[in-house]
Amino acid sequence: MTPGAHAVGTSPAPWVGRSRPSLEGNDIVTGAITYVTDRREEGMLHGYVLRSTVPHARIDGIDVSAALALPGVVTVVTAADVPVNALGPRDVDGPALADTVVRQVGEAIALIAATDARTAEAAAGLIGLDLTALPVVDGPAAAAAPDAPQLHESGNVSGAIAFSSGDVEAALADAHLVLRRSVHTPAQEHVAIETPGGVARWDADATSVTIWCGSQNPGLHQRKVARALDIPQESVRMIANPVGGAFGSRNDDPMPVFLALLARRAGAPVHVHMTREDVMAAGAKRHPFWTSIDIGFAADGRILGSAVRAVADTGPIITSGPNVMKTSAEMSTGPYGFDVASFDGTVYYTNNANAGAFRGYGVPQVAFAIENAITEAAHELGLDPAEVRLRNVLDGGDRHSLYRHRTTTSLNVRATLRTAVEHPLWAQRRQWQAGAVGPWRRGTGIAVAMKGVGMGSGTGDTARARLHIDDRGHVIIWAGPNHTGQSIQTTYGQVAADALGLPIETIDVRVGDTGEVPESGPTAASRSTYAGGAAVRAACDELVERCRGLGLPLATDAAGVGTKLVELGEAEVNAEFRLPDTDDIGIVPPEQLATFAPHRVYGTCTQVVRVEVNTLTGEVRVPELLCVLDCGTPINPAATIGQAEGGILQGLGMAIMEDHRVSEGIPRTTSLENYLVPTIADTPRMHTLFIEGSEDSGPFGAKGMSEVVVVPTPPAIAAAIRDAVGVLPQELPVTPERMLALIEEAPCM
Amino acid sequence: MHVNGDPVATPAEADHGLRLLDYLRDHLGLTGAKEGCGMGECGSCTVIIDGRAITSCLVLVGQVLDAEIRTVEGLAAAGHGPLQDAFVARQAVQCGYCIPGVLNSCAALLDRDPDPTDAQICEALDGNLCRCTAYNRFYDAVHDAAAARHPNGAGA
Ligand code: FES
Ligand code: FES
Repeated sequence: MTPGAHAVGTSPAPWVGRSRPSLEGNDIVTGAITYVTDRREEGMLHGYVLRSTVPHARIDGIDVSAALALPGVVTVVTAADVPVNALGPRDVDGPALADTVVRQVGEAIALIAATDARTAEAAAGLIGLDLTALPVVDGPAAAAAPDAPQLHESGNVSGAIAFSSGDVEAALADAHLVLRRSVHTPAQEHVAIETPGGVARWDADATSVTIWCGSQNPGLHQRKVARALDIPQESVRMIANPVGGAFGSRNDDPMPVFLALLARRAGAPVHVHMTREDVMAAGAKRHPFWTSIDIGFAADGRILGSAVRAVADTGPIITSGPNVMKTSAEMSTGPYGFDVASFDGTVYYTNNANAGAFRGYGVPQVAFAIENAITEAAHELGLDPAEVRLRNVLDGGDRHSLYRHRTTTSLNVRATLRTAVEHPLWAQRRQWQAGAVGPWRRGTGIAVAMKGVGMGSGTGDTARARLHIDDRGHVIIWAGPNHTGQSIQTTYGQVAADALGLPIETIDVRVGDTGEVPESGPTAASRSTYAGGAAVRAACDELVERCRGLGLPLATDAAGVGTKLVELGEAEVNAEFRLPDTDDIGIVPPEQLATFAPHRVYGTCTQVVRVEVNTLTGEVRVPELLCVLDCGTPINPAATIGQAEGGILQGLGMAIMEDHRVSEGIPRTTSLENYLVPTIADTPRMHTLFIEGSEDSGPFGAKGMSEVVVVPTPPAIAAAIRDAVGVLPQELPVTPERMLALIEEAPCM
Repeated sequence: MHVNGDPVATPAEADHGLRLLDYLRDHLGLTGAKEGCGMGECGSCTVIIDGRAITSCLVLVGQVLDAEIRTVEGLAAAGHGPLQDAFVARQAVQCGYCIPGVLNSCAALLDRDPDPTDAQICEALDGNLCRCTAYNRFYDAVHDAAAARHPNGAGA
C-alpha cells in the first residue's frame, strides 16, 4: 500500500544510518496530502491583503467604505481594528498593519474577507488611501547619511556587532601578502514553491483561534498571534504543516497573524493564499551584504590575521537582521584557525525589501569574502588552493579564531578537504580544463565552509519531546522543530525505533502543532535533526530506563508493558535537550555570551565545482559538483544527501542567477518571469560524500548540515571561473553581462 | 470534459472564464494541482490535457470543454503507479509541493516515449521548478518507472 516503504515488521535494527523514504511520500505522489493552502472549511471566506505600492509614505487616511459596500465583502481590517497592532514586543518589529506610515513596497495596509477570492481582491482596489510620499532611504549608504530620514525612533541602525581578538593591522604588517578586498552578495528570494497562506478558524465560544499556516517557529507565531489579538497564548493553536518549502521564509512571515485577525473579525473561517508577485515584494529576503576583508598571509600561505567589515540592508523592520549579523561575525574567520581577527558589522533600516532568515543566515555573505581572498592568495603565492586551505584549517578542539572559544572534536574540516582533493573532480582538473572547446573555457574551483548548529552558547537553546505508550504498545511522540519539507518526523522515527528497540511501524511522530507539541524552538540554525532528534532520544531513553526500573520487558512485550504503564499512570514521558554551550568561552565576556553566542558544534563542508565559461556570451555553466559533508552520523543518508543537493542548488542560484533587485525602493524583480531560479537544465551532476565522524552530544552522533551546504557553492564557482578565464568575480550573481565585463577587463589570457 | 477518465458535468457557461486550475481545485475538489505562480512559470499546476503536460493556470475552462484531463489523483489509474512509487523509493520528494506537476510532466513523457533519455527528461521537466531538491533523482525515478512498466523492453 505504501510504495517504496520497507516491508512491515521484517526490517532489522538499526534504522539510524539507513535511508528511509519520507513518511508522507505516498500522500505526496497521489495528491492526497492537504497542504495548508489546500485546506477548505465549511463556510470559509476568502481573504486578500492590500499592500503598499510605494516605498515610503505617510498615511493620512484610509477609507474602506466603498470596499465594505461591495456585495460579498464581509469585513475589512485596518490598523485601527487590530487590538495590539504589533508583530513583536519592540517598535522595530513593525506593526501588523501599517498605521501612520508605510515603509516598503508590499507592506500590508488592510485585510479583506469576502465570499470569494475575486471579490476580496476587487474590494482591495476600492480602498481609498490618502498617502503623502516621503523621501526614500534606498540603501545602507542613504540610511547612514547625516540628514537621512529616520525610519524608527531608535534611528536607522538595526544592529551592530564588533569584536576583536587582537591588533590585526600589526599582524598584517609582517605579512608576505596583504589583500584588501570588497565583495557584494545580493538579496535572494526563497521561492518556496507554496506561497504563504492557509486557513484560520475563530471559535467564538472558546474565544480561541486555530491557524493552519506554514511556520518554522509555531511557538513564536502562537505568541505573535496572541499579542496581536490580545488573547492568551493558550487560546491560539498553530498547525504549521504540511507546507511547501520554507528555507527561512517562514520564520518572520506575518501571515499567521493576518489569518487570525481576519477569522476573528469575520467570525468565520478565512482562507488566504498569497500571489507570487506579493511574495516577491513582501517576503523577507536573504540580506544583501557589502563585505570587505583585509587579510594577510605568510609566504607559505598561512593566514596571519584578518579584519572583516560587513554592512547589511534589512529593509524597514528588524526581523532577523541583527541575529543574522551575529552569525556573520562568528563565521567571518571561515573554517580557519589563526591568531588575530576582528569583525565589525552593521545592519541598517531602509525602505528596500525586508530581509530576514534565509538558509545560511549571514554565513554565505561573509564566506564569499574570505573564500575569495584565499583563492586569490593561492594564485598570488603560487600555491595550490586546496593546500592553502589545508594549511589553515581549524581542527576539532582548536580555538576559534575570533572568539578563541573551544570547538568540539567532531569538527572535521580537514577530512572534508582531504576527501575532496582525492576525488577525480579535483585530481583531474587539468585534464578537464584541457578538454575545453570553442568559446567555452573550463575551470575547477574549491571552497570550504563551516556553520554553527543551534542558537549558540548562552542562548539557552532547548528542544523538547513528549512520548506516550498505549496498551497496544504503540508509541506516539510529539516533538519539535516542525518540518517544512524535510520530513523530519521520518528521521525522528528512526531515532526512536533504535532508542526504544521497537518496530518503527509502531511509532507515530507528530510535529508542528502547538496544541500537542511541547515548545521546541525553531526549524532553523541547522538544529532540527540535532536538537529535536536529541530530545526524542532523551524521551525514549527515559522510557527505556523507566521500564528497566520497573522490571518491564519493553522490547519483547510492548503491549503488555504499555498496558502496565497506562495502569500505573506512567505511560507518558516528557524530556528536553538543552544544547550544550562551548566548554570554554575563550575571550568572550561571560556576561555577553548570548550577544556573541559562539557555538560548540559545527557542521562543515567542502565543495569542488567544474564550470564552463563562454567567453563570447558570458554564460556560466556548472556541469558537475562534489560536496563532502562533515555532519556526524547521517541518520537518513538519502534524505541528508537530498538536503545537501537542494541547498547547493540554492547556492548555485545565488552565485550565477538570483538577484532580487530593488532601486529607489521599488522592487524590479517582481515575479518568476524576471527573478530566475535554477531549473533542471541548470543543475549539475552532484556527488555527495560523508566523512566519518560522530558528535557526542547529538542523537546517535548526528549534527546539523542543511545550511552549511549553501555556503561553499558561490565561492567555489567564483574560484572555478578564476581558473577558467583568469578573473575572480567579487560581485554576485555572476550574470552573463557581469561575466563579459570581467573578461573584457581581464589581462590577456 | 473527462477528468481522470470519468465524464464530468459540462461546466456552466458562467464558469467558462475560470482558470482550469481553479475549476479543478474549487469545483471538482482535486487539490493535487497546485498554484505556485499563476503565470506559467513554475509548473506546479501542470496537468495532462489530451496527452500533453500543460500548466492549468494558463488554461480557461471554456478551452477544454471536450478535453481529456488527467491530474495527479488519476495517475495510478492511468498506469503510472510505478512512476509514483519510484519517486517515493528514490527519495526524490521533499516538501512535495512541486511533485504533482513534476509527475504529470514525467507521465506525459512516458506515454509518448516509454523509455526516455536523460535529455528528454530534462526537456520535459524544464518548466517544473523544484526549490527543495536538485532534480537529479527525478531522472532516476523516471528510468525506474520506465523499467518497471516495460520489464522486458530495452529499459534503462
Ligand atoms: S501556477 Fe501555473 S505555472 Fe505556476
Ligand atoms: S519538493 Fe519542494 S518544491 Fe519540489
